[in-house]
Amino acid sequence: MTEEEKYRQIKKEAIATGGALAVIIVFWLAAGFGLAPLQVQVFHLPLWVVASCFGTWFLSVVLVRLLIKYVFRDMNLEEDSHE
Amino acid sequence: MSNFLNLLPLLCFMLFMVGISVFVRRQQERGSYMQNFMRHYFVGGRDLGGFVLAMTTVATYSSVSSFVGGPGMAWQIGFGWVYMAIVQVTAIFLVLGVFGKRVALLARRFDAVTVVDIIRERFQSDFLASISAFVIVLFFCGTMTAQFVGGAKLFEAVTGYSYTTGLVLFGLVVVVYTTIGGFRAVALTDTCCALMMMFGIVLLLYYVLQAGGGYDAIMTSIETNHPEMLDPLSAGHMPIGLYLTQWILVGICTIALPQSVVRGISYKDTKGLHRAMLIGTVVIGFMTIGVNFTGILAHGVLTGDLASYGGVDSIIPRTVVTVMPPMLAGVAIIGPIAASISTISGLLIVASSAIIKDIYVRHQQKKGVRVPQQRLRWLSMAATAVIGGIVFFIAVTPPSLIWIINMFAFGGLETAFFWTLLLGLFWRGANRTGALFSTVGGTLIYCITQALGFRVFGLHQITIGITCSLALFLIGSAIGQPESDAVLDVFFPKKKQPVEAAEGKLAEE
Repeated sequence: MTEEEKYRQIKKEAIATGGALAVIIVFWLAAGFGLAPLQVQVFHLPLWVVASCFGTWFLSVVLVRLLIKYVFRDMNLEEDSHE
Repeated sequence: MSNFLNLLPLLCFMLFMVGISVFVRRQQERGSYMQNFMRHYFVGGRDLGGFVLAMTTVATYSSVSSFVGGPGMAWQIGFGWVYMAIVQVTAIFLVLGVFGKRVALLARRFDAVTVVDIIRERFQSDFLASISAFVIVLFFCGTMTAQFVGGAKLFEAVTGYSYTTGLVLFGLVVVVYTTIGGFRAVALTDTCCALMMMFGIVLLLYYVLQAGGGYDAIMTSIETNHPEMLDPLSAGHMPIGLYLTQWILVGICTIALPQSVVRGISYKDTKGLHRAMLIGTVVIGFMTIGVNFTGILAHGVLTGDLASYGGVDSIIPRTVVTVMPPMLAGVAIIGPIAASISTISGLLIVASSAIIKDIYVRHQQKKGVRVPQQRLRWLSMAATAVIGGIVFFIAVTPPSLIWIINMFAFGGLETAFFWTLLLGLFWRGANRTGALFSTVGGTLIYCITQALGFRVFGLHQITIGITCSLALFLIGSAIGQPESDAVLDVFFPKKKQPVEAAEGKLAEE
């Protein structure tokens, strides 16, 4: 990769990371405040607790996996260095 | 548990930390250590692998308050608190994903070892760099003191030994091992600390469940006696505005914390970075849910009201003392102590680099003096020891001023660096005037509004700070001179063949 390609790739990765954040925020809102009125319980916990706390964690891990598999690219950090 | 034997686990742990540091030092002295001392001492020779990178980022981010104050609040408020705390799960992958590669490449280009180095190169301003270094040292000292005090108070409450004994036992040791081993020792000890933090959570959770009569019994009792704990707003104890500001304060804006960003300079290759994003997210989620959930379940053993236990910060120490056999309580306190020392070590080495690299070496460079490696080595270690020592002594009897600084620190650092780093590294139009306005003006506005208790819509002052900081950045960038093309072309490389109208296109970005 040239310097310019690296920069473009990094920018793409940063934007995708921001996108993942946006997805997590929306999910977090829906799973927590959205499900809170329901009176359903799972393992003695209200459904909203399971969905928002464990769910947000799980979703974040899945999204990071997707990011590093499909968006993030390996690149040589040492190339063109001034040493 | 004033039996000396019960201190043994913590003593062994601290000795082990010093051992790691001495080992690191010896290993490095055999290699190319002396040729580039600062790179080894302040960023560990850019050699961290994915696992260690993840652990050191998480351990530095998770402070003693995530282990003591946080779960205490969860005990009081209920699941709304866990719901709020889980926003931290984004902190690790955000900082590594947005800044990780960007600063890694730039640092290699400029042989930078600090975040301030990169800010200086980007905005070509020694003044901005000095201000940044000052902001870092000031706020870090406040935060470090709070970590010392939090750890020592917990030590006192759980072991029955004095506050000062605790402070000496872990406080002096963290200064010693950071001074000897530098960043690499910090990263490796952080990894041990993070593992002990997780182990401590599991251990405490197990004993809380045992003593509380099992999960079903505890949860049934909470349902009957504290139904508001099952509601996200907790009958008004969790205002909706707090959720919003926590997203900004402990989620999104944490990507600009210099102690996190500097970790982008320290890893070896991009494979490691990718792994660290994943491992870090798994670990921080585990810790956040684990520790706060344990706080809630402590209702099974602490059934009185909050005042009878002496406030939120006493909940976890009380729980440890109540549910654990004395010998194991000695092991359990390693978790929160580890949270405290891993944050201190991470801040200490960055504060030291700010003084030596960002201020002293730069000053000498401008005078045309080349500082010999031997002297750099001596001075760097001295700076680390002196800052650590000063903070240690402040923590023995902390003056009220230090609490004010600590209260300002987290949001202050975010206000100072969020836009300067984000816009500086991703927007060609960002310039020196904007960065100066944003860092100086934003931080001042943040601190002043917080000191006066001024709020908009009842929201935490970070909302004011971060908004003003952005506005000032944009105003400054509009009225100030743009940076020279020579600088910008290094930060925002163009295609070799001038096929497209690169100028106009890049300016839009």
